[in-house]
Amino acid sequence: MMQRLLPFLSLIVLFVALAIASPHFLTETNLSSVVRQTAVINIMSLGMTLIIIAGGIDLSVGAMLAMCGVLGGMAMEHGVPVPVGILVGVLTGFFWGSVNGFLATRLGIAPFIVTLGTLGIIRGLTLIITGGLPVTRLPASFAFLGEGSLLGVPFVLWVVVVCALATHVILEHTRLGRYAFAIGSNPDAAVYAGVPVRFNTTAVYALGGLLTGLAGMIEASRLMTGQPSAGNGYELQAIAAVVIGGGSLHGGEGSVIGTLIGALIMGLLSNGSDLLGISPYLQQAIIGGVIILAVTVDELRKRRGRAEA
Amino acid sequence: MLLDLNGIEKRFGGVTALRDGNLGVEAGEVHLLLGENGAGKSTLMKIVAGMERRDAGRMLWQGRDAAFRTPAEAAAAGIAMVHQESLLAPHLSVAENIFLGREERLPFGWVNRRRMIEQAARMIEEHHFPLDATGRVERLSPAGKQLVGICRAIQHGSSLLIFDEPTSSLSGAETDEVFRIVRTLRARGMGVIYITHRLEELRVIGDRVTILRDGATVHSGALAELSTDRIIQYMVGREMVSIYQRQPVTPGAELLRVEGISRGGAFRGVSFSLRAGEIVGLAGLIGAGRTETCRAIFGVDPLDAGEVFVAGRPVRLQSPREAVAAGIALVSEDRQRTGLALRLPIAYNITMANLRQICRLGFIDGRAQGRVTADYIGRLRIRASSGRQAAGRLSGGNQQKVVIAKWLFRRARVFLFDEPTRGIDVGAKIEVFELMDELARGGAAVLMVSSEMQELLQVADRILVMRRGSISGELPGSTTQEEIMRLAALEREPAA
Repeated sequence: MMQRLLPFLSLIVLFVALAIASPHFLTETNLSSVVRQTAVINIMSLGMTLIIIAGGIDLSVGAMLAMCGVLGGMAMEHGVPVPVGILVGVLTGFFWGSVNGFLATRLGIAPFIVTLGTLGIIRGLTLIITGGLPVTRLPASFAFLGEGSLLGVPFVLWVVVVCALATHVILEHTRLGRYAFAIGSNPDAAVYAGVPVRFNTTAVYALGGLLTGLAGMIEASRLMTGQPSAGNGYELQAIAAVVIGGGSLHGGEGSVIGTLIGALIMGLLSNGSDLLGISPYLQQAIIGGVIILAVTVDELRKRRGRAEA
Repeated sequence: MLLDLNGIEKRFGGVTALRDGNLGVEAGEVHLLLGENGAGKSTLMKIVAGMERRDAGRMLWQGRDAAFRTPAEAAAAGIAMVHQESLLAPHLSVAENIFLGREERLPFGWVNRRRMIEQAARMIEEHHFPLDATGRVERLSPAGKQLVGICRAIQHGSSLLIFDEPTSSLSGAETDEVFRIVRTLRARGMGVIYITHRLEELRVIGDRVTILRDGATVHSGALAELSTDRIIQYMVGREMVSIYQRQPVTPGAELLRVEGISRGGAFRGVSFSLRAGEIVGLAGLIGAGRTETCRAIFGVDPLDAGEVFVAGRPVRLQSPREAVAAGIALVSEDRQRTGLALRLPIAYNITMANLRQICRLGFIDGRAQGRVTADYIGRLRIRASSGRQAAGRLSGGNQQKVVIAKWLFRRARVFLFDEPTRGIDVGAKIEVFELMDELARGGAAVLMVSSEMQELLQVADRILVMRRGSISGELPGSTTQEEIMRLAALEREPAA
């Protein structure tokens, strides 16, 4: 039990250490900027949690995020209301997620390869659609999604909380979530138990895409542009958040709370480095080291668990 | 004497695989190693070949004390094993496989490919093997792959060759080819240990014979002095300690019928029916097609021909999902691979096949799940700390009970048990038997595949026997192990 709490304890230690080390850390401005900066990766990593629990992986979410922001933004440029524009972005993510799930389950190709392929396809299409130029003529009210506040806290925090709760409920309290665990833990046993494996796997990728679409709209709202080059490398951050939070790339393990902690640890490390004047180059190295450390600790815990059995 | 084994013991955890293994092999003889599945033949051979280490006993190799810690050590000493599924690198060529780990080297770590191909070709030529030195191993037939394994043994200068059921996956012509090669090796003065289950092969190939039963050598001697009946008696033993005996019930309506089902080279023309309240045994040797038959009925593999009827209605089961929906359950041979999600809680495993049952408005009702799990843990006496415990933490017997609980909760009517007692200790075995009996009494039809004939006699109302993909006969539950063995292993009915 102690070891399960380890990521959470690390988060608290990190939080307290930063509060002591920098007088600017515990200010409203800084904390709300942490929330806004991490929201995009947070929401993407929620979807990634579902996918990784089901034994899959999605490398295309970074490219997907860009296309969602671009298409949603273009819709708004053409005069559709802001909520409809956001919906266009979200549905774009849902579409590409479904494509990934469909290809992975029907072609029998490893999801790593399928999504490596769609990564290229989506990024390329996005660049073709925009001619490589950002989508900029967005309505001013669109900024509320990423930069607005509701009841004194950043609006994106509400979005993150709602998405996290919904993902948690899906994972722990619906058949889809249960099947995701079953498929990720032992796909053969799931087939033998009569679980509709293909449908549920596809659904998991589709949900991951939907959340990525939402993240893409938040990113676009914060920058007030749909950047065709947005989201580069975000897929690795999302995967890292899941893994730091106790998710296993072998499938069958992971949780929403773990992933959120993982994403926050990475967010705080990056924010803290900024505050303490550590170079952004070194930041990358630190986060890389933390990923390896977190997974090593988790592996040791599991190995000890097996030895006791 | 080439190889002399005395009083070899080996245990795996709490299970004793060998208690008194004795075997003496001379150079220039083909020594048959016989015994039922699980008698300890493979374990004994793995000890000889350095794949397992013995716990006790003495091993003399060419007159000297020996203990091989790795297959490489045994190979260096001149012992080679040709596996059923040869351990080859399928993407490499025949020559590369023959020289794997012993490549002809040039300076700077280069490999002398041409010389290897020449030498391999010369060896193939010399033995008249139907092989191409440059062909890729994955394209070869099972027999061809075994030939590569044999070539490898010869190239490594082995003086003892161990064949583990070499002909179980081979056609008649290929079998003859293997026999011819074995005789060639014997003529060259090599010792050959030959494990087989096919009694009709014995006289064709063997010189002397050693028979294992329950981990101990029960007989060793010249083959010519033994009748086949006597060999079977040694193999199955005389003492049949019956601790459990099922009382059959009057069968009810027919729940499953298969008519002339066939699939590829696995099985053909299989027909039988199961009625409510019945436990039907399915006996046969490994590779007879029993598991494949169960898998096909359960929709895992497609059927080439034949029909399946569930409760009198014809069905086409294309996937396990459809089979489950039709009320069929498969308790598979390999429960860790196909029966359980080991890292998930017991509760998840028990409810996996019937989640709908504990869902309310689309959400899983946690309390209902808890109730169901506690109910089955109690009824099946699953020894677990709680329903939240990971299934992988349970003992083999309790894991099996979780699999059965899953199908009970799914309300399956037809149960296909494939080797249900494998890896389970004796006490748990009887509990599994009692569960099967309860199922049958509750109106289910049960098919039980088992390689342990004693178990079939204890549990089954009648016993079907398969041999090489076909049903070779049906016996009443009151039959004997000798009768089953005869149908399972002999090509033709012997004249009584």
